[in-house]
Amino acid sequence: MRRLILWSGLAVVALLAALWATGTLAALGAWAAGEQRAVQSALAQGIRAIRAGEPGAWAALMSVCFAYGFIHAVGPGHGKVLVAGYGVARRVPVLRLSALALISSLAQAVTAIGIVGIAVLALGWTRERVEAFNDGVIVPFGHLLIAALGLWLVWRGVRGLQAAQAPRAAAPEGHHHDDHEQDHDHHDHVHGPHCNHAHGPTAEQALAVGTWKDASLLVAGIAARPCTGALFLLILTGAMGIFHAGVAGVLVMGLGTASVTIAVAVLSVWSREGAFAALSDSVVARALPGVELAAGAIIAAVAIQLYLTGI
Amino acid sequence: MKTAACLVAILAAQPALAHPHVFIDATVEVIFDAQGRAEALRIGWTYDDLFSMMIVEDRALDPDYDGVLADDAVAQLAGFDMQWDPGFPGDTYPLLDGQPLALGRPEGWTASHDGTRITSTHVRRFETPVTIGASPLIVQVYDPSFYTSYVIAGTPVLTGGEGCTVQVFEPDRAAADEILMAAIAEMAGSADMEGEFPSVGAAYAEEARVTCGG
Repeated sequence: MRRLILWSGLAVVALLAALWATGTLAALGAWAAGEQRAVQSALAQGIRAIRAGEPGAWAALMSVCFAYGFIHAVGPGHGKVLVAGYGVARRVPVLRLSALALISSLAQAVTAIGIVGIAVLALGWTRERVEAFNDGVIVPFGHLLIAALGLWLVWRGVRGLQAAQAPRAAAPEGHHHDDHEQDHDHHDHVHGPHCNHAHGPTAEQALAVGTWKDASLLVAGIAARPCTGALFLLILTGAMGIFHAGVAGVLVMGLGTASVTIAVAVLSVWSREGAFAALSDSVVARALPGVELAAGAIIAAVAIQLYLTGI
Repeated sequence: MKTAACLVAILAAQPALAHPHVFIDATVEVIFDAQGRAEALRIGWTYDDLFSMMIVEDRALDPDYDGVLADDAVAQLAGFDMQWDPGFPGDTYPLLDGQPLALGRPEGWTASHDGTRITSTHVRRFETPVTIGASPLIVQVYDPSFYTSYVIAGTPVLTGGEGCTVQVFEPDRAAADEILMAAIAEMAGSADMEGEFPSVGAAYAEEARVTCGG
């Protein structure tokens, strides 16, 4: 049953990929672009209503902001790609990856608030200057962080491959463990047949070591790309003396974005585990570093390309 | 894993493209001379609510934020979007027989404000007046980088040009998507990924087609 559920995750992703490749999902992108236009108008009306002190204006603006964040994230975007890539590359638990998706979406909002709060309200920069600073400094910096994350995954993959090749000496220890399990059958019942520690040390170490490092790189890399719509909202509300409404709105936008990135996080873990469920644990342990290396290389290549086109 | 890797590559290649942040309803007027040749285009741009609000606030033209601008404030708006860099083609692309036609710098610009949205107009002269024969004069309106999304609003106007007609054509979105996917696939496969993202905005452009004497 568990295996069936995992397999279906892989099937869902394969279906999505097929839809994407055949252009069916482009319609979703077009829908999102059309909706973004409508939501953008609603955003302007919401700001005006709060400024005029109309009743219900706050609830209206917040719901528009959530929709803006959601629609923005449904279109092709960078945050959810990274979450998915990371979810495939590292055997990170689904809750932790979802938390990372939420944190990075909110961090993205906080970056926008920080930029506008400091640059516009404190230093008096113009909107053009803020946008140029964002595009020329903040975003390229984020791309470098993401490239670092990719290279870090590659390095870990290489280390993992080396470790997997070196100690055939680990085999006796594994046998010993198997014997141990035979002596205590109840262990099998408690843990199930897949909980074979002797075969999974690389995977477990991969989880334990350095997770906070690549997690913080992931969050920082996504955070360093505040969305233009968030900057628009903050600059407008700042100029109108209702900056607190902008701050609240941008955080809610982050929640709207997170609703999509969390779904992507769940999907990426689901598909990864689906792929692994088809293989025996020892194969998984050997395959993990390779997957990590490949996904890391892709993430690094894309980030470097974005950095080069961005400057 | 291959599928996932492909997804990552395809998704990551597009972020610059898929998010227009400014939405413009464009109007097109073709102005003919006495000999029936197209001599100029008058282009109108009506900006979306949010961007219009941004322009007004940037310039502090609406101190009470009620959306109503004083006459002198409206006068200050004129020309706000006409400070073009020398190389900026102006998001207006006329074609005849598939060949691009050269336009002069913008002139005679105006701006107005209706309480929520700004509309600006400007005139671009053809470098040489265009005689429209068997094939139509095509005017495309788009931003190659897709930061701004253009839609041709209403039926274009022909001023002069006896016997000419005009029609607006929407892009073939399926074909445009194919061009986009091909561009991305090509880029993902190449070792050196420097340079600009492919300018596929043209494939998504709406266009006005003017035919004469047909």
